Amino acid sequence: MATIQEVMSDTPTRDDDQLLPDGDPIDQPSADTPARGYTDEQKYRIFNKEFMPHIDSMYNFAFRLTTDEDDANDLVQDTYLKAFRFISSFEQGTNAKAWLFRILKNSFINDYRKKSKEPAKVDYQDVETTYNSEDAEAEHTVDLRAESVSDLIGDEVATALNSLPVDFRTVIILCDIEGFTYEEMAKILDIPIGTVRSRLHRARNLLKEKLRDYASSMGYNEENEE
Amino acid sequence: MKEHCSHRTDCLKMIQLILDGEATEQQLARLKVNLESCKPCIEMYHLEKEVKELLTKRMEKKCCPDQLVATIKSKILSFS
Repeated sequence: MATIQEVMSDTPTRDDDQLLPDGDPIDQPSADTPARGYTDEQKYRIFNKEFMPHIDSMYNFAFRLTTDEDDANDLVQDTYLKAFRFISSFEQGTNAKAWLFRILKNSFINDYRKKSKEPAKVDYQDVETTYNSEDAEAEHTVDLRAESVSDLIGDEVATALNSLPVDFRTVIILCDIEGFTYEEMAKILDIPIGTVRSRLHRARNLLKEKLRDYASSMGYNEENEE
Repeated sequence: MKEHCSHRTDCLKMIQLILDGEATEQQLARLKVNLESCKPCIEMYHLEKEVKELLTKRMEKKCCPDQLVATIKSKILSFS
């Protein structure tokens, strides 16, 4: 049983990182975007000091989205080239990681999802509507115990995650693997915070259903526990 | 100790907010009360925490290949 002290000590705290600069040019480069007149030297310095330190996280995100190393390579390269091309709209000192993640996610949707090897794309709005219905809310609790997932290994978790529709997978990656705040996720994904919260909730319920299947296959189930 | 929770979905949402560091003080206070008195909430808390830790600690973190870093840097330099 968790003590209050455990709950308090487990509660993560997050700094209020500065968010993305306003006027992101990556979706629609336009004259409205405040252009910053960086010199070439400043551009390279920003690129190296603010963008390159995030390249492992970016690659990991790309790999989790595409589930393919070659596609992840292409996606990361495209993202960094775009980031450099649009560097004049990046404001130094703001959240470079969130800015880069937003570019990568947009590139993935625009360029890679179309040629994705995934089965027919799931329309997450349909899925969310189903999961948002009153009946689903009332009944939807996953019969799974903490003890039964504690022995799962990384490969099993990765397979379960990969089996989720990409929009659900994305929120889990951003929140649980990369540690973005809901507000940062809302900016990266261009959706309201309320949608971030509900999509994350659905995504975790789906993930737990997948993990329950693994746990059952390992012999952990209610019958064995009783 | 309560054996049945009549607000499971709401409690689950609250537990997730707290583990994500997004809860208000009021929500945190409510959870503290629940974790002293409601068995289903205690179990949900442990499960959510375990699943989050699976994702944060047990998943392999893929690193960017050195060759890709080199390619990106050389392409950037050719832009000017």
